[in-house]
Amino acid sequence: MSLTRRQALKSGAAVVAAVGISKPAIAQKDPILIGYLPAVTGPSSSTGIGITRGTQLAVDEINKAGGVDGRMLELIVRDTQSDPTKAVNATAELTRSHKVNIIWGPLNSGEALAVVPILARQNMVQMHSCWVDSLTDVKKYPLCYRNGPTNQQIGGAANRYAIETLKKKKVAVISDTTGYGTSSLNAYVPMIKTLGGEVVYQSSVDAANPDLKPEELRMQAAGAEVIMPWSVNAGFLSRIINTRGQLNWDVPIVGQTTLGSGQTQALLEKPEYWAKVYPNNFKPVCYDAKGKLPDRAAAFVDRLKANKIEMSDTLLWWIGVGYDAPFMIAEAVKNGGLAPEQMAGYWNKARAYPGVYGTVGFSADSRDGYPDNEVVMCEANSLKQGAFNLAPGYGAA
Amino acid sequence: MVLSIVLSGLAIGCVYALIGIAYNVMYSASRVFSFTAGTLGMIGGVLGSLFILRMGLPVWAGFILALVGGALLGVVTEIVAVRPVLKSLDQHLYVLSTLALALIVQQFTAIEWSTDAQPFPRIFNIERNSFDQQYWLPMIACVVVIVGLELLYRRTLVGHAFRAIAEDNYAARALGLPERNLRMASYALAGVIGALAGFASGQMLLAFFANAPLLTFYGFVPVALGGMGNNRGAVVAGLVLGLFQQAANFLVGGIFASVAVFTVFILVLLARPDGLAGASAGRRV
Repeated sequence: MSLTRRQALKSGAAVVAAVGISKPAIAQKDPILIGYLPAVTGPSSSTGIGITRGTQLAVDEINKAGGVDGRMLELIVRDTQSDPTKAVNATAELTRSHKVNIIWGPLNSGEALAVVPILARQNMVQMHSCWVDSLTDVKKYPLCYRNGPTNQQIGGAANRYAIETLKKKKVAVISDTTGYGTSSLNAYVPMIKTLGGEVVYQSSVDAANPDLKPEELRMQAAGAEVIMPWSVNAGFLSRIINTRGQLNWDVPIVGQTTLGSGQTQALLEKPEYWAKVYPNNFKPVCYDAKGKLPDRAAAFVDRLKANKIEMSDTLLWWIGVGYDAPFMIAEAVKNGGLAPEQMAGYWNKARAYPGVYGTVGFSADSRDGYPDNEVVMCEANSLKQGAFNLAPGYGAA
Repeated sequence: MVLSIVLSGLAIGCVYALIGIAYNVMYSASRVFSFTAGTLGMIGGVLGSLFILRMGLPVWAGFILALVGGALLGVVTEIVAVRPVLKSLDQHLYVLSTLALALIVQQFTAIEWSTDAQPFPRIFNIERNSFDQQYWLPMIACVVVIVGLELLYRRTLVGHAFRAIAEDNYAARALGLPERNLRMASYALAGVIGALAGFASGQMLLAFFANAPLLTFYGFVPVALGGMGNNRGAVVAGLVLGLFQQAANFLVGGIFASVAVFTVFILVLLARPDGLAGASAGRRV
């Protein structure tokens, strides 16, 4: 059978048309690429390991349920090793080589401070959970969303608890001499005064100082009714708690989450010294006065148990924040689209997402999604399966 | 308050003095100020906690193994960071090489051990009181080291050999003394003294990788104040430093205590550049 030139052209056109038509069909089956930047080794790895457990579970659940309109989520994970330089390199690899659709992470502020401006220049959508205030900015980083609290919210919750709930007006604020410690002290002292509290003593001390008795004697002499330490150094915080115990000084200690960490507990001279120590935590993942988790968190814990995910060596809020992020991304892709402006457009208008870790919602004017009223204080000595009791005064959850 | 200043001041002063002695022992054998001295102290605390708390060894075994670990690090310092730069002492390359080794060990400890302070075991199972073992253990360690070094240097043949190479290593070599072996032994001895300081102060300073720079800096002050290579001067200056630092902690507090300590340090050195107990060496012209 001979083939005329007209037939050949028609066949060719048909092939081209067929290829052209099938291309979008194949693209619709492509996975949605999430570049994920946890630190699962190095100094900040305990957070990263916990969050990764939640993130992986969420991705598995979404994919088992058919993905997003048939498209699977694919996590491309790069361990930042708790090193900002490695986080920057991993970011370049994920965005340029793998051409991911969105970045989830980094998970600690030191790395995020290096990565956020880079992603902003690349017009890449990013979600992170880091607390440093400057890590979101509608104008500078319009595609960067935070699904955790800011340092302002953390300090605000602690200050409100000390002054309004515990009714302790005379406050001693102490920090270590790190950037985090001194910036927290400088930010929170004016907030205390605004709430009607009186800062009777404030000091920044080298975290390695082995003897904090002089500091606490001065606090006592100044009439302090509550100690508010700001540091992430377990050694420093445990010395504050131990010294209070040695002095038989019955004042509450209210402050940063590390006050309730296992590392701090391990350094206490006596277990009873941990009483009346109230670190920051999050209401949706705390036990209420009856010892029960909120329904959402309780159902989540059941799923963690069913999936045999370890909780005893980590914190429930870490797993929760990791679990919520992929669901928020999937929801934005499904309802908005995969392009950066489509995801951002959806989040800027969508109702708050009811996550395990918190009810997170953004707006056109704010990229900070965590609500003030869910940042609370808890009882440090109540840790059970990764969660704490709400501190006295919050009532039922 | 005075009792608190004296107890904790003497305790931390003894730790500084021991680190100062570790500096001096290394310096005497090689004319090198090895900035691994604080790292030796840090390693003593970390290894003590590792062997006793994590591995569950008896206290005596953990103590001996921690000292052995310190001795090994001392020898490694001599081989890796000191020996290669001995021929160019006047260029002070040892500052870089010993600091580099100290940083490597410190970072390795942070990664493999923990970046958080870890607990150190109670050495003796006795009730806590105002004169707790965390205070008197460093004092006892300091006395033991002072007496031990006096006996070693004055009553033993090896001690005489140490002193010989400290005074004139060329003459000592000419007399047939094995200078390299004696230098390595001195570094091992410094490692034991540094590790002992870290072990004895473990309950006070905890098993923490960041103790290394703290001890390196504060341990150097007694050496500078007491006169380089002068152990007695280091002990006196270490105790004075500890007491002054603790008094400043009580009186001015916060970061001002460190400022006060280093202000006095600079003033003393301005007045006595060779240290309080040092004598300026004559230079042949």
